[in-house]
Amino acid sequence: MRKAEFYIVYVLLAIAQMLICNYFHVSPYVMLSILPVMVLCIPIRVGTVGAMGIAFVTGLVVDLLSEGLLGLNVLALVPVAFARNGILRLIFGAELFSRKEDFAIRKSGFGKVALAVFLAQALFLAVYIWADGAGTRPMMFNLIRFGASLAAGFLVSLLLVDVLAPDTRK
Amino acid sequence: MRERSKFVPRLINAAIFILMEVAALRMLSDNADLQQLWIARGAHGFMGTVWGSTQGVKNYFSLRKTNENLARENFELHRELDTYRSLNHAVRVDSMGIRAGYLEGFEYIPAEVVKISRNKQHNYMILNKGYEDGIKEKSGIITRSGVVGIVDAVSAHYSYAFSFQNSDISISGRLGEEGAAGLLVWDGVSSRGAVLKEVPVHFKYAVGDTVYTSGHSLMFPPDIPLGIAGESRIINGATNEIRVDLFQDFTAIRYVTVVHNNDFDEVEGFLP
Repeated sequence: MRKAEFYIVYVLLAIAQMLICNYFHVSPYVMLSILPVMVLCIPIRVGTVGAMGIAFVTGLVVDLLSEGLLGLNVLALVPVAFARNGILRLIFGAELFSRKEDFAIRKSGFGKVALAVFLAQALFLAVYIWADGAGTRPMMFNLIRFGASLAAGFLVSLLLVDVLAPDTRK
Repeated sequence: MRERSKFVPRLINAAIFILMEVAALRMLSDNADLQQLWIARGAHGFMGTVWGSTQGVKNYFSLRKTNENLARENFELHRELDTYRSLNHAVRVDSMGIRAGYLEGFEYIPAEVVKISRNKQHNYMILNKGYEDGIKEKSGIITRSGVVGIVDAVSAHYSYAFSFQNSDISISGRLGEEGAAGLLVWDGVSSRGAVLKEVPVHFKYAVGDTVYTSGHSLMFPPDIPLGIAGESRIINGATNEIRVDLFQDFTAIRYVTVVHNNDFDEVEGFLP
């Protein structure tokens, strides 16, 4: 995928996330977010600092233009960008970085991609739910919310991986 | 050399990450009261740990001199404390203005309400005193006009409490001097309205009787006047539900007294 195409898709998905935040209130236990998979799919060439910058701006814009607490998405999304290289290196190996190739489902395998998405989503939700509750909500509520949100976010994110990181092999 | 070349970018990444997280926490703290309390609690805990450790090392090398000074100061402080204790006892009884006065077994701490919600079904309040001031969880909050809430969580300098205007809160109330006890709950609508539930139907009372705390609750001392009994209705032919006009106006709360039963944990231990 060309750089410009990726960023157009990225911006469109950020707008979709704002709409989700504003209109998708199924239950207090479900917090649907596609931001972690968006950050995970940022091209490897961008690097950790660049990814953290993009995550910071994305979280801030989503926080500003949607209902919710200013800073909450930023707080949860920047760690995903920070841990992104570590997650990718752990799951796909160091070759990905030496070849400066982006991962894709067909190229890297569905299982590995799903695991990477799962870890990114879990990290994001752990920080988000922890900060959102601010120590006032019962542990059981937080655990149920984490589980339900992880399941919903993981499934939706898997559908988006192919859009964000398509296989470019001919 | 190669390891060193990897270390510097990692350090830069970590520094930028910390800066961004601090900025996010700052935004969160400025825009949400609960998060502000939570972040302040975390920051105080962190600072306490850091400064406590460094101070511990420093103090180790000057223990003898410090001990002598402390012993002398301790003696003076004990003498002053005895004087203040006797004065404080008199002040508490006066400012409380409750019939029971200062009760043995209960600890009273004055506090100020820094934030209160009134327009929800689950209202809360935040007090300017925390565990460093002696506030404990499961303490009652009272004023001279009645019961206003229950402390749910405490940080070093603040307490988070459920207001009595919360549909999850009920307190044990009693009709008149020696009347039947029931559960007093907020009516969910008005700022001074409450309902005394589960009063036995055979018990006679008069409209205008005063409702007091019964003392059956571990959190509140008995005989604090709460409000005036009004009309009643019979529920399922077995119990009365009596309307109560509270003395406390929840739109005008600022100074409160936190009351803690020193035997709370011991008595609670008997309960299933």
